[in-house]
Amino acid sequence: MRPGSLAGGAAALLLLTTACMGGTAEPGKDAAAGYDPNATVEITWWTGQTEEAEKVAERLAAEYHTAHPNVTIKTSTGAPTTDDLLTKLSAGFTGGTYPDISYAYGSWAGDLSASGKTQDLSSYVQQPSFGWTEIPEAARQTATSGGKVIGVPALVDNIALIYNTKLFDQAGLTYPTDDWSWDDFRTAARTLTDASTNTYGTAYSVSGSEDTTWHLWPLLWQHGGQILDGTKPAFNSDAGVAALETLRQMAVDDKSMYLDQTDERYWRLFNSGRIGMMLSGPWSLIELKEAKLSYGVADLPGFNGDHQTVSGPDLWVLFDHGDANRAGATRAFTTWLTSAETDAKWNLAVGNLPLRSTEASTPEFAAYVKEYPGGQKFFDNLANAKQARPTAPGYEELSRNVGDAIAEVLQGKSTPKQALDAAAKKSADALVN
Amino acid sequence: MAGLTFALPRTVPAVKVRRRFDVTGWAFVGPATLIVVGLSLFPAVWAFFISRAKWNGISPGVPVGWTNYARLAQDPDMLAAARHTLLLAALFVPASIGLGMLVAVALNQRIRLIGFYRTCIFVPYVASAAATGILASFVFNPQFGAANQVLRTLGLPTQQFLESPSQALYVICLIALWGEVGFTTVIYLAALQDIPAELVEAAKMDGASRWRVFRHITLPELRPVTVFAAVWQTITAVQLFDLIYTTTRGGPLNSTQTVVYYIYELAFQTQRLGYGAAAAYLLFAVTLLLTLGIIWYSRRRGSEVF
Repeated sequence: MRPGSLAGGAAALLLLTTACMGGTAEPGKDAAAGYDPNATVEITWWTGQTEEAEKVAERLAAEYHTAHPNVTIKTSTGAPTTDDLLTKLSAGFTGGTYPDISYAYGSWAGDLSASGKTQDLSSYVQQPSFGWTEIPEAARQTATSGGKVIGVPALVDNIALIYNTKLFDQAGLTYPTDDWSWDDFRTAARTLTDASTNTYGTAYSVSGSEDTTWHLWPLLWQHGGQILDGTKPAFNSDAGVAALETLRQMAVDDKSMYLDQTDERYWRLFNSGRIGMMLSGPWSLIELKEAKLSYGVADLPGFNGDHQTVSGPDLWVLFDHGDANRAGATRAFTTWLTSAETDAKWNLAVGNLPLRSTEASTPEFAAYVKEYPGGQKFFDNLANAKQARPTAPGYEELSRNVGDAIAEVLQGKSTPKQALDAAAKKSADALVN
Repeated sequence: MAGLTFALPRTVPAVKVRRRFDVTGWAFVGPATLIVVGLSLFPAVWAFFISRAKWNGISPGVPVGWTNYARLAQDPDMLAAARHTLLLAALFVPASIGLGMLVAVALNQRIRLIGFYRTCIFVPYVASAAATGILASFVFNPQFGAANQVLRTLGLPTQQFLESPSQALYVICLIALWGEVGFTTVIYLAALQDIPAELVEAAKMDGASRWRVFRHITLPELRPVTVFAAVWQTITAVQLFDLIYTTTRGGPLNSTQTVVYYIYELAFQTQRLGYGAAAAYLLFAVTLLLTLGIIWYSRRRGSEVF
């Protein structure tokens, strides 16, 4: 090949590359302006669900199509696992074949909002008929990124204290209450730990993933700390150090905490009766039911009477394709899907908490509480989710750095202050850019 | 050109130079060229442009020049990953060659059921590294695994294996060896059978011991294969990913995070595609240099394999 054609090829590639990496933001204009509800449209829905829930989703899409024959909804899981959806979306943006509505983890909100391809629902959800305020505050915050509402919460949850009643009875301890302090928790964990039977008081994931990180946030908030101060990391404050020290004492000094190198083992060990207490969410109830374990649920232990928890809401993110009819139809469908009536057939049916407070009076909720003991507690605990994780771009990386810091401290390789300072220093760069 | 060994005649016959675009020739190479350009060269060049940008795959990319490369040099995680990779390669390459040669010599005998033994050695290589990894994580599970069961029966202290930051990398190396020794064994077996029997017989006639036959006949005859195996196993060690993904995911405390795994984390876990691409290019450069180094060294020693 002659040098000239090589240079030409490189230039063509550069052009193509720049085109591929560019965005298509069209600010200022509402995506659904001039929407005709009777237009024939086809919209694509990536559910991000596993097999059982996917079947329910497809049934709902068919039901919607029957009621609105002009709207066809192409339903698929979008990716083999929910985690892979972000990669699929990113490839879709590059290739121009992204869906109209996709499931997304709350922690992706910042990055997705920065793509410039999401719809802005800020004024849409404020319509009284939408009932925006029926959805928990932390979930609404997560759906808002960069001052825009980019989607509607798809799932709400929170972390509470789940305990094995049999192990408590054997150790002669009284069950945890909603007023427990972290000192009570530590004492109980120490008493429950028995090396001879491989039984641990409690457990914590030290894989360094978001599962490691977000269990620390409630403790940080209870001590009055913040994750970010503006765009600067603030988790390495005295509050953060005190929060991590609480965990360190149990893991290193007392050895009452099972440290899980993956995210997969601790809840399995809890289900098989080897761990006395775990901090986990309503998703655990399905497996607990299958394991036939007798358990109880209480609010998280608190500091100075503050029992706030963390919520990990997931979202339906709505995308803009420059077609008002598609955008409008997508909004109408999402509104229907997240309405109290449909959500009872969706989230409650697949074992999740209801999205809206108004669903508490539905027969579906009564059935859910009956099937999953502790469901009521998790529902009530939504009120304790007062703060949300940041939705700024760069949170993913901050989370990883904090996760590594926690893992180091709990395995006795570093002190809370040292590890959190190092994590803050590493994260500062990712947040600014 | 003295170093190249092409089986082509040096003097090109004086055919008439055809300036016409040769359709038949292009028809043959066309499809393969398209595939190579489209699926290998284009992504590689694109990755280079990405490596000079800050891009998360979602929001528009921002060109940053050589910043990503400059930051790599100061990234403590990158340095740690490079250390882990080098340690892994330094352990894995000599061990897989030595073991492979040993097993090949042992299997190069006329004994009963030899075909069965050879198959047994090769089976782990055929199994996918992902399956090997999952199997190994059962065996080395500290609480319920077979490895600790054996230690307990022998009255030895039990180990944390893959859950200990100081042991995990060695355990991974061991698992990788278990899978890869089959490969070096097979190529050494083939090479052993290519050694002319007359040479060995002549040496024996002259009264050479078995060790001296091995040292002065077999080893030199195996040299080209050894160079090939060294290059191949170095690349395997440097690019080891699936085994780490299925056993430790880079943990505990990032002690098994190799360069390739770090690139995966950067690009697909934290969505820093630009920085990840820069790290990938650095790895490419280092692997290329390593390979060239091995080839240069072996040519100086008089064997030519590439």
